[in-house]
Amino acid sequence: MTALLTAHGLTKKFGGVTALDRLDLSVERNEILGLIGPNGSGKTTFFNVATGLYGAEAGAMTFDGIDITRASPQAIFRAGIARTFQRSRLLLPLSIFDNIMIGNHTRLSQSLWFNLVRRSAFKRELEASYVAARTLVEKFDRKLADRLLEPVGGLPMIERRRIEICRALINQPKLLLLDEPAAGMTHEETAELMDNILQVRALSAGLTIIIVEHEMGLIERVTDRCVAFNFGRKVAEGTYREVAADPHVQEAYFGVA
Amino acid sequence: MKPTEQKAHAPFLPGAAALGLMTFYLIALLAVERQPLIIGLLGIAIAGVLATGWLGLLAPVGRSFVEHENAFGALTVLAACVVAAAFHDNHFVLLLVVTVLLNSVATLGLNIQFGYAGVLNFAGASFLGVGAYTAAVLTAHTAVPHLLVLPIAGIAAALIGSLLLLPALRTRGHYAAVVTIAFALLFKTLLEVNDVLGGPQGLQVKGMEIFGWSLNDGMTIGPVELSFYLNYFFVSMALLVGAFILVRRLDRSWIGLNLDALRLDETAARCFGLNVARWKTVAFTLGNFIIGIAGALAGMIGGFVAPNNYTFADSLTLVSILLLGGIGSPWGSIVAAIIVVVVPEKLQTIQEYRFLLYATLVIVVLLFRSEGLLPRPMRRYIPGWRP
Amino acid sequence: MDPGLLAQHIMNGLMLGMMYALVAVGFTLFFGVLDVIQFSHGDVLMVGAFAGLATFLGLRHAGVASSPLLLVAVLAVAVMAMAALGMLIARYLVVPLRSAPTLNTLLITLMLGTVLRESVRLFYPQGADPKPFPALLPSGSIALGNFNLRLDNIILLAGGALVIVALQALLNRTKLGLAIRAVAQDQETASTMGINFKAVVLVTFGIGSALAAFAGIMHGLYYNEINFDIGLLLGVIGFSAAIIGGLGSIYGAILGGFLFAALQTVGAVALPFGSAYKDVFAFAVVIAIMAWRPTGLIREKFSERV
Repeated sequence: MTALLTAHGLTKKFGGVTALDRLDLSVERNEILGLIGPNGSGKTTFFNVATGLYGAEAGAMTFDGIDITRASPQAIFRAGIARTFQRSRLLLPLSIFDNIMIGNHTRLSQSLWFNLVRRSAFKRELEASYVAARTLVEKFDRKLADRLLEPVGGLPMIERRRIEICRALINQPKLLLLDEPAAGMTHEETAELMDNILQVRALSAGLTIIIVEHEMGLIERVTDRCVAFNFGRKVAEGTYREVAADPHVQEAYFGVA
Repeated sequence: MKPTEQKAHAPFLPGAAALGLMTFYLIALLAVERQPLIIGLLGIAIAGVLATGWLGLLAPVGRSFVEHENAFGALTVLAACVVAAAFHDNHFVLLLVVTVLLNSVATLGLNIQFGYAGVLNFAGASFLGVGAYTAAVLTAHTAVPHLLVLPIAGIAAALIGSLLLLPALRTRGHYAAVVTIAFALLFKTLLEVNDVLGGPQGLQVKGMEIFGWSLNDGMTIGPVELSFYLNYFFVSMALLVGAFILVRRLDRSWIGLNLDALRLDETAARCFGLNVARWKTVAFTLGNFIIGIAGALAGMIGGFVAPNNYTFADSLTLVSILLLGGIGSPWGSIVAAIIVVVVPEKLQTIQEYRFLLYATLVIVVLLFRSEGLLPRPMRRYIPGWRP
Repeated sequence: MDPGLLAQHIMNGLMLGMMYALVAVGFTLFFGVLDVIQFSHGDVLMVGAFAGLATFLGLRHAGVASSPLLLVAVLAVAVMAMAALGMLIARYLVVPLRSAPTLNTLLITLMLGTVLRESVRLFYPQGADPKPFPALLPSGSIALGNFNLRLDNIILLAGGALVIVALQALLNRTKLGLAIRAVAQDQETASTMGINFKAVVLVTFGIGSALAAFAGIMHGLYYNEINFDIGLLLGVIGFSAAIIGGLGSIYGAILGGFLFAALQTVGAVALPFGSAYKDVFAFAVVIAIMAWRPTGLIREKFSERV
């Protein structure tokens, strides 16, 4: 069984709206999969169910052989899935370092005794963590790596996205979910971001990525495979070209001719 | 400020000068009796702060405090001792100082809940009451050493708090709000109705005794008479220093980071593996533990406990101190405690109006300067640490 | 239990339930439409009652003696004055804090409650003492066996029900109601559709506060007494009732209000020293319900965009 993440008959409803309708999907290891589809087709809902924020009404989801259908977000994170959010959920008053450390927190000592009393040991852990964060950020943006103690609030969108991605990567997940990473960015920034994503894959052996995007240029350039959603179901699957040419997909975006 | 561009440390002098000035001012304010003089002094303070702000002199003071934090912590303790020494035979002023210290401790506990974890607690005074009543019962009916009574009272407050905990763990802040307000309103009623705990009259609390030394006895050193409140001053000071260090270290640790994460964005925190319920519980319980100890000590100092001392208005006063000083800012809580406790005591005419005044002040702060008097600075895990 | 006594308890429960329901509906309206917790709602009720009392005293001093006329005047002044107060609160305290964390709005309304309470205590003549409230309703009663069915209670119950029905009609059948519901559903879209958000905020606060004034007068007429303190407990009860009913749902608020009253009545009757512990009992049950069903018996209308 090579598929890393599978969904069978996954159904999620919100009151009268069916956001996911008996969805079947599988994600192969090490691939970069693109999820496309019009607004409201269920892509972000799929992410939210996959990360345990919503519970599905029916169907099942497995990750790396484990059933995660009813798992909590915390358990899913520990299993190896990390994500970014559509509206960048960084903690704006906190520093870049702090934000990245939140992604690292399962590796940091959490006992009251350690944190309150063993301060020299804490300092050592702090310094080691700083080095780890800095090393990671340096891979994307040398200049940003010098500014880790600055608050996130003052940074432009592209830098915030990079920090969000670092926060998701610091714990070395198996699966990375990127939710509209190019939202709010210019063409140049989107191009830089694409390079970053490819770099990420090159640097992290064994990382699988799923990207939800509306920016088709990014999807075309970066993804190995694509799945198109409409009304909570998969309507097409294949390479970007294949999917873009698919009549169902064109109907979803442009309506019936 | 880029770590690699670190210049020489900020000078020590501005902070030291400011601290000296404030100590002198506080002594003057506490010493003066006549109302017109007091009003004058308060006017000078307000004008002084505004002027120094406008002249840009507040920033260097802030920087020097921040850069030499541990030194200034010690200096502030020294300054407090100077104030106490200046009034060594004055029961009234020393009691006022002790009240400031204990209110600061209680507010520090509230800060962990409210300021760091974002868990609302509008029953702060009720937990003071739990601590105080525990002290009353333990000192009257058991032989538990008084120093041990304090942490036991803290545990009692933490345990009662855990009853309210389940709703308080729910995501939306208003659940914790309504549950703690209900508790605050009913706590007083419960105590009054119940003769077991003294009813409306309350209970007497024995004064503190440590290893045979009764703190209720004043001392005479040569020709100098020392008020017995001086004894309690030292105990309260020790408690404040302990609580302050604890709160500081909590904030400047991975736990502080967890609390910020769950306060600012619980959804994201959960997605990164944070056990939100666990950390809210830790914060809420630890906060109540600290508040309970402050209440117990206050009870022993006052000599009696009664339901009337722990009303909803008193809980709101603690919240007001927290908001005025700056939510999440321990130094701010201390400064606000000084203002909230001392000013109505000195300005007798406004005593009656103090709840109205506090509430109005908080409204103004929330509208125009919601960070409070001394806004919470960014986290520096270790003072002076440069990567 | 003696059926007459039972009937009396039921009547008490209904009266309390109606009052709590009116307060709870206000809370749910503020929350549902604006995501705002208006913690001074109970104190607005109290100020409304005092406004009514002052009107009564003024008119009686001016020689007006007709009870119906006085009642109408008292109601009119209280309702209009509180509607105005509500709009002022919205304009100066709630709207400015729109972009601040929701915690700040909760805190500011909580502090406002204290300001209202203390202002009445300090500035109304002998404000700290309980004040007798006039009996302006017809005083007859119908004897049903042991139980005296009081006419004024029936009128109060009917009045409360009428107000709630009128509110539902306003929300569901008028253009204004449509605007309010649109803002409650999706504030951004409503604004882009041309609905004046600020106006809706002001009107919602006006309506909610007018409801509080009505409940305040009801309170005065039922107990024949008002006090600067009544807003606190009523506010907390009303808010709890709205929560267990499911914040944002008017039916839930009504359900919650009557449920709380039922719990209090059961507690008063069934427990030893019941009347002292009835509040504790009712709140304990409510806290347990909140722990079990945090989004209320009818789901809280809230979904956060992830």
